[in-house]
This record gives sequence, structure tokens and C-alpha cells, in this order.
Amino acid sequence: MKNQGSGLRCQVSGRQFSVLGFQSSVVRKVMIAALVAGLYGAGVPASAQPQPIVLKGGKLLTVSHGTIENGVLVMEGGKITAVGSAASVKPPRSAKVIDVTGMTVYPGLIDSETSLGLTEISAEAMTNDRIELSDEIMPHMHVYDAFHAESELIPVTRLNGVTNAIVAPDSDDTLPGQDSFVQLAGASAAEMLIVRDIAMPLNFTGAQRRNESWEKRKFPETRMGMAAQLRQAFLDAQDYQQKAAEYKKKKADAERDKKSPPAAPKRDLKLEALLPYLEGKKTIILAAESPSDLETAVRLAREFNLKFVLNHISHSRPVLDYVASLKVPVIVGPIYETPKDYERFDAVYSLPAELHKRGVKIAFASFDAHNSRNLPYQAGFAAGFGLPADEALKAITLNAAEIWGVADQLGSLDAGKVANVVVANGDPLDVKTDVKRVFIGGEDVSMTSRQTRLRDEYAAK
Amino acid sequence: MCRSTTIGRWLSFVLICILGACCLAQQSNPPVAHDVVIKNALVMTVTHGNIKNGSVYIKDGKIAAVGESVSAPASATVIDAGGKYLTPGIIDSHSHLALDDDVNEATSPVTPQMMMQDAFDYQDKAIYRALAGGVTTSLLLHGSANMIGGQAVVIKHKYGADRDAMLFPGAPRSIKFASGENPKRVYGSRHELPSTRMGNFAVMRDAFVQAQDYMRSWDDYNAKVKRGDKDATAPKRDLKLEALADVLRGKLLVQIHCYRADEFLTEIALAKEFGYHIRAFHHALEAYKVPEKLAAENIGIATFADWWGYKQEAWDAIPWNAVMAMRKGVRVAIKSDSDDFARRLNQEAAKTMRYGGATEEEALKMITLNAAWIIGVDDKVGSIDVGKDGDLVIWDGYPLSSSAVPNKVLIDGDVFFDRSLPGYGMPHYSEGQ
Repeated sequence: MKNQGSGLRCQVSGRQFSVLGFQSSVVRKVMIAALVAGLYGAGVPASAQPQPIVLKGGKLLTVSHGTIENGVLVMEGGKITAVGSAASVKPPRSAKVIDVTGMTVYPGLIDSETSLGLTEISAEAMTNDRIELSDEIMPHMHVYDAFHAESELIPVTRLNGVTNAIVAPDSDDTLPGQDSFVQLAGASAAEMLIVRDIAMPLNFTGAQRRNESWEKRKFPETRMGMAAQLRQAFLDAQDYQQKAAEYKKKKADAERDKKSPPAAPKRDLKLEALLPYLEGKKTIILAAESPSDLETAVRLAREFNLKFVLNHISHSRPVLDYVASLKVPVIVGPIYETPKDYERFDAVYSLPAELHKRGVKIAFASFDAHNSRNLPYQAGFAAGFGLPADEALKAITLNAAEIWGVADQLGSLDAGKVANVVVANGDPLDVKTDVKRVFIGGEDVSMTSRQTRLRDEYAAK
Repeated sequence: MCRSTTIGRWLSFVLICILGACCLAQQSNPPVAHDVVIKNALVMTVTHGNIKNGSVYIKDGKIAAVGESVSAPASATVIDAGGKYLTPGIIDSHSHLALDDDVNEATSPVTPQMMMQDAFDYQDKAIYRALAGGVTTSLLLHGSANMIGGQAVVIKHKYGADRDAMLFPGAPRSIKFASGENPKRVYGSRHELPSTRMGNFAVMRDAFVQAQDYMRSWDDYNAKVKRGDKDATAPKRDLKLEALADVLRGKLLVQIHCYRADEFLTEIALAKEFGYHIRAFHHALEAYKVPEKLAAENIGIATFADWWGYKQEAWDAIPWNAVMAMRKGVRVAIKSDSDDFARRLNQEAAKTMRYGGATEEEALKMITLNAAWIIGVDDKVGSIDVGKDGDLVIWDGYPLSSSAVPNKVLIDGDVFFDRSLPGYGMPHYSEGQ
């Protein structure tokens, strides 16, 4: 998450509250959901879909294979089982048929970075579990340990068609912890956490320096310090990895020679957490803004052969060809990031289009929680600055699914994928479009939230 | 409509002079606005519907004619809008841009003598970035740390012009009050008064009691002078109390940062107790709970479209707030309170069409005419009507959508932003020259 604030103004927002000192006192909250331990994802949850559902007559934006006018989409057992024209698809007999004539139907949207489930009221410290600021290197922090499945923000978000999200800690540590990939519906956190440790942010934007004030400054207060600290962390992890390998070999030798086993090395959760990344099994999300930070971060990642995608790069416009040469996807945005004074007003707005032009795969992220529901508008705005509209939709569906390795399950309207499907009365990217129905795992999700309940309560008065 | 050769030569001369001036100074003053005709536009007037294939004639910076066809002298500069949408310039009724973080004099909860004009940094690029989003007028307010903050300044986004040219001529004075969590937090964290809502209102009441005394002493003095009393001595001037006395005299528009429904009612009661009127509640995220009470007092609101949850008093915010309040007769503006949102207020207004079903004109009004009313400049800007300032936006795309982008922005009939230009896209500004 980004902190863009510069002081107490009329509102005290999530973006501004680090200035007010709330983040430093973030205290871990008692977990509400009982989570099943384990590092790896449990896969897509079992479906709660009671009967087959057919959406008939809508305009299907498949994302993967164009638009189907007057289409039919069948959901069964939580999956999409058929997609096609009215003539080509025969709905199952027992199905509940919903006429969606005049509506658009598109895959559930994927927000590639949020703090959903880690925050409730931005300025109220006790309702926030966004980041551990006690140290800069915190890879053993797991979002799934704090993810609040009952958060009021989740229904608000899914009402706008966002069905999946990356949940990440805030970005004020270089290594703040590991992200989870969630589905925004489910009976419990265990069901909603699709992939528990999906990726790890490595933040190198300069905001991670501990140079808040002359009195409070401590190591690392420069980018040199940040880089040195990161390098040491990965070196320590390599050393840990080597010791673990040696132990494994000695243990095997001892077993073979029927000798007493060697003493196991002491476990270090911090270093252990870095291993899947050192081994290239998982993805690092490399965040930088300026060209110099970007190049330093990439150099660091290459020193340790880390597999990475890029994040933000909002002020790296002069080096977009270099970015393209890296052949990695970019999580763009928020495109509302204010340009530097030396940049044109649209320097950040048009970044998605410029990256797309260079063949870079992009995905949008809200980098927010309360406003995650506005993810599609960011894509729509980028379309106003030259990103083709179908690519803009792809950047909040299929591209995101591909980047996060779940494209076999999500991101498009294709038979065999999880039935995360949205029905709306217009262009998914437009602010005026009203989302009418959301299906998650084939389940017709209730279109209510705390906000609709307040609306209905006072409208009735 | 072609210019005559003589005028052409004259304009070239002027242009050369302007370019010459550019070379000397980083920023140059724009030329005196000449006659402009915008033709072939879809004119969204805000007050009298849309005109397809319409034209607007701007003379001496003011709108002189609007219609399907207008008569204008041949010398007027013609801008062919190519069928694009034309709206009034966007008006932001709650902004803190160009104040270089000098937003809160948070050293006392009552600081009405603070003048935002004294902090106004007319070179701040935030003015340009909002201009590029179609904003032509902003109300720059004091922050919300204090129960009674400072006096606002109204600006036109003429980036590249000098400071005085950016001050909105004839705009009424506004003062910022605040309530709720922010003053509580700022002073409470220092163990000072106020730290509760009780303290908040006690501070205000105390300030107005002092102001009443001050006003009385001046009224007595003035009465004595009028009677010809030669021994009358003027009371000592006190800038703080003078400003508050002006509030009591109804000389200032009172703009109150206030979130909760119960606090609207307390503020209204306090205003009645001391005899001043509240122009608008800002943020006003719970207006939907008591819209009739606000409508009855003719109090407007300057609110967010869908922002919520950033603090406790924003927890009951709902995106239907604006339209629910409007339907009960409240004058509603959508404002930015942010250098970021200021750049896309058209999208924020469009959200009201989705949440509650505002019409196109109602949505547009929330960022033009209604915002102008809150600032007190609705007789000068906020709609495309004859006699109003030539503050206009030509849009690429439908303005009430996600993807619309201003193509050109005119202020007082002069093009201050043109997207098609290289660099910053500003005819009256170029960097480092």
C-alpha cells in the first residue's frame, strides 16, 4: 500500500494516517477466524451452488475469446460448464434460468493488491493489521494470519464485481510479509484464502527508509542501507539454505550408516520464509517508482536469481523500453498517483497504455481496501488515455489470473473455470454501470452490504 | 470567419511580444482575452438543457451568446469542437491545493484571523493538474484541526498567470469551521481543550461570546461617533474577534467540516443561538440521515461521492448519500478535498448517476452550479449562460464517464489547457524558459 499523504487536512485517510503516527502503534488484533495452519494454498473451495444456473440473453465479455451477443452461460457445481451463443448451448434441464437480456456478463474482477481483511477503519489503530513496523525484514509475516473474513469491506467490494484479490501488507517495510490470494466470499477465512502465501512484496520506493525525523532516524535511513540490509537478509537465507542442505545430507548419511542422527540446525522462521523465493518457486513483487530505484531493485533481484514481477513504476516513464526488455508483468497504478512536478499531467494515467504498446503484460490494482470496489474505473480511466478497452478489462481479469498463476481457474468466461461471474447493466469499466448480480463459485451472492442496509433503513424513514 | 490581414499582423506582433516575455520570465501573463467562438459542440448548459451542434460566443472573457448559432464578429477566434461535449468549468468547493501544507494553524482551536490567501502558492503544479482535469475554480479552505479555522481564498486555475490574476474577482469571503474527530484528536492528544465534542462546542461558544462583546464595544463606539461624541475612543482592534464579529454580522459564508447527523443539528442550534447562518456542511457523509433538517435551513452540502471508512465518523458513509439528500431538497456538491480527486471530479459526479440515479444534469450540477452556490459565485460561474465567465471545458469523450479527458480548458475565454499541445499542454506556461 502506498502512503501519499502529506499532513492532516480535512479528512484523515488511510493514505494520510502514517503522518499522524497511527501506523507505528498498529497492534495485532485477536484473530477472529480460526485458520488452518499450513504454508500452501488449499485450492479452490468446494462450491455452495445448489443447482445449475443459466444466464440467458446477455452480452458475454469472455475476455479470452471475444464478445458473444445474446449468449448463454451455464454454471454447475461451482464451475462454468458452457459458454456460447443461444443456438450453440443447450442448458441442463434442472437449471434455474435467469434472463439477463440487455445486460453484460463478464468474469469476476481481480484486484492485484489490496489490504482487504487487514483494515476496517483506517484511522482506528485497533481495527488495523496492515503492517509490522518493528523491523524492515519481515518475510515471516503471513497475511492469512490476520485476514478478517467478516470484514464489512468485503461485501461492499464484491457488490461492484470484484470477486478475487491479492491481500498484501502495507509497503513501509522492504519485506513486509507474504501476500494471500483470496476469494471475496466463503463461509470462513479458510474457504476464502485460496492461496495462502502466493507472493512476497519487496518494496524499494524509498518510503521504507527509517528517516522519519532527526530524532527517530535509525538504520536503514538511506537507500544504500535498504539495499545492504536486503542483501544481508538474502545472504543469510542462502547460508541457512546451505546448512539445511548439509544437515539433510548428513542425516541421510547417518541413516545409511546406521549412526545416530546429527543435531538439526535451529529453525529460523524469517530465513525459512525467504527460501521459496531464493529457490525461484514463488514470485517476488518488486515495487519501485523512479528509474533509479527500479534499476537498483532489479539488480538486487538478479543477484539472488529471484523470480519477480514489477509493481507501480509510476515515475519510470523514461525507461519503459528497459522495463519491456525485462519481459516481466507489471502491476500498474494506482494511476491516480500524482505525477512529479517535472512530469506532464498524464504521465501516470497513460503508463498502462505505454506499457501495453511495448508488449508488457499489465494488471491493475487498487492498492486500497475501502476503494477496492473502484478498481474497474481505474482501468476505464486508462482506456481514456489510450489503453484499448478490451485490454483494460483483461488487466483486471485474465492478465491478473495469469500473473498470479490461477488462469486455469479464473479470469475469463470459459468452460471449466470457477464460476465467478458478474452481471451488470453496461460497460464494466464505466462509473455509471450498476452491478446487478455477482456469482462466486456459482453461488448467487447476496447484493447487500452494511451500506445497502443503511441506505434502506434511512430511505424508509 | 477569417481574421483580416491587419489583425493577423497585429496578432503576430502580440504573439512575438508574448514569446519574448516568455524568454525573460518563467511564467508570462496571458494576453488580454479576446473574442472567442466555440462552435460545433454538444453544449451542456446545466441550466437549460443540452444544445446539439451548439456554439458559445465569449466576448471580453464573458459568455455573450449561447445557442445553435451565434452571431460574432469575424475577428473572433474560432475553436471547432468537432462535435465534442462542452461543459462549464468544474468548480471544486473544498480544496487545499497550492497551500504548501500551510493548511492548519493547529496551535489554537480558534484561528479565524488566518488568511489562506497569505499561504496561497500560485506556482504549485497541483493547480495545473486540476486544471487538466477540467477544474477552473476552487475554494481553498483552512484545514479541520481547529473548530474555527481561517478564511478561504477562491482561485481561478489560470496556471501561468501571476498571483493576483488567479484570485477570483469579487468572490465573497468564506470561513472554515470544523467539528468532530479532528479537533478532538489534535488538541486531545496534547491534553488540551477540546478533546471531546463537548469541548469542541464549548470552545466555539466561548469564542462567539467574546465576539459578541467585541462587536458591542465597536457598535457603541460607532454610535458615539455618529452622535458627534468627541471623547469617543476606538476599542483596540483584535483581528481574531473582528473576523468572528463579521461572522455574526453575516459578512462571511460559514463552511463547516462536519460528518455526523447529530453534529449537524448541534451546529445548527449553535448558529441559531448566535444568529449566524451556515452556508454548507462539508463532507456531510450522514446527510442522508437528516436531509429535511438541512433543506429546511437552506444549508448545502459539499460531499464525497463514495469515500468512506477512513475514520470512525466516516463509517456510516454510503454512496447514495448525495442523491438521497438531493431528493429531499438539499443543494449538493461533490468536492475533492484532495489534490488527487480534484483531477477527476467528473467521474466522482458520474457516480451519483449510478448510486441513486441522478440525472446527467443533476450530476453535472454537483460539480458546477451547486458548487458555485456554496462558494457564493453562482452568479458568475457554474453554467453556460449569457453574462457568466467564459470558463469552459471541451471534453474528449462523454464527461460523465470513466474515460473522459478534458481536451481544452478555457478560463475567462482564454485557453489555459490544451491536451493536444506538447510538454505540459499549457499555452501560457513553459518550464525553464
